[in-house]
Amino acid sequence: MGLGVWAIGLALALGLPGATWKQARPPLFPWEMLGPTLLAVAALSLLAPTLAWMVGPNLAQRRSLALLEAPPDLLWAGLLLALWPAAWGPPGVMGWLLAFLAAALPGEARWLAQAMPGERPFPLAWGKAAVSRVRCLVLARLWGRWIVARLPVWLTATLVLERILGMPGLGTDWMTRVVVRDRAGLSLWVLALALLWVLSQSWEGEAA
Amino acid sequence: MRWRLAFLGALLIPELALDPFRGGLTATLRHPFGTDDLGRDALLRLALAAAHSLGFASGCALLALSLGLLLAWQGQRFLGLWSALRSLPPLLFLLPMAAAMGGLPALPLGLLLGGLIAPHLEPALRVRINHFRHSPAWAVERTLGAPWPSTLRRWAPWGWQQTAAIFPSAWLAALWGEATLSTLGLGPGPGHDSLGRLLAEELPRIGSDPSPLGWAALGTVLLLAWSSVPRATA
Repeated sequence: MGLGVWAIGLALALGLPGATWKQARPPLFPWEMLGPTLLAVAALSLLAPTLAWMVGPNLAQRRSLALLEAPPDLLWAGLLLALWPAAWGPPGVMGWLLAFLAAALPGEARWLAQAMPGERPFPLAWGKAAVSRVRCLVLARLWGRWIVARLPVWLTATLVLERILGMPGLGTDWMTRVVVRDRAGLSLWVLALALLWVLSQSWEGEAA
Repeated sequence: MRWRLAFLGALLIPELALDPFRGGLTATLRHPFGTDDLGRDALLRLALAAAHSLGFASGCALLALSLGLLLAWQGQRFLGLWSALRSLPPLLFLLPMAAAMGGLPALPLGLLLGGLIAPHLEPALRVRINHFRHSPAWAVERTLGAPWPSTLRRWAPWGWQQTAAIFPSAWLAALWGEATLSTLGLGPGPGHDSLGRLLAEELPRIGSDPSPLGWAALGTVLLLAWSSVPRATA
């Protein structure tokens, strides 16, 4: 049934109603932003598991993490704009990367910590080395499923940050294709998101 | 849940009167945050915009909870469908749609937000409802053929308690959904003042020409976000 929804989504993208007042060419894919985006994903996929590995499942219960996680993406972009020294020029890629990590890292660390199994009585009773080893194994098992399940959330976060910081990237690309009614490009986006969903489902099935 | 629902009444409060000739005044005792470009007292405007946003979020959350209950009660056969809808965040749908339409008015935005948040509430509501459905108390009700009004009277407090636990997350999703769209200039028009609209006006100049109103709006967003964090967390 889920595949049926994605098929309807694809049909909607192909038959997107309406037309632009002035014929506009579909935007070029922002290849130049692919590097920074991959860097952001790499930084996140390294920092969040490291944090979860260092603190363990108790991280999900930390109030300090919940306080960092609660504000919306727009607040981090707003704070960055407010605190960025005007003499340095626009925040650019570095500012976007900082805002992205501030917006996404607490939520992702909590996601991973919540998915980790409890450590009492074992492996805690076996000592620190065993705890560390078990955490490593658990995080290695979770890693792929986590990336696939959370990519759409990161895409949304980048979309909001890109719009506020005035930096066209992957999120803006998806949005612009809707605006200029680029049905082919939009279908590719829907197919990519559907593929992520299929992958996350197969991982869930495997876990069950 | 109750204090959040109380803000539904704020949706009936009219907008502040415009006085462009008194716009951009600096802070005084009469206007502690000064006035905005259209001559409205900045502090009053911030309070009213925040109240409007909170009321709007409460309305959306109520709609999302009602739809979520319906999905959890009747939609057992469509679990794959809800799972596919949950795999994408509501904003990923809403932002391009609003951009294509040149902004979304308040009522369609509220309906869309409620509809998009509902599948995210469905699993939590399904767990609670299934627990209730399989309980002997519910079986007795059905066996004895109790009329609907009496069943509702008996079970409404339990239902209220269960939904109250989920309401804050729906409320926050609606609040940030509307605020994000309005901050990006894609929310309801000038007739519906909100926290997001205030940020849309203040953010572009907060780096070069910051005003107390801009900082206060950011502070309000932070306070609202932190108000949703449970104190019981260790």
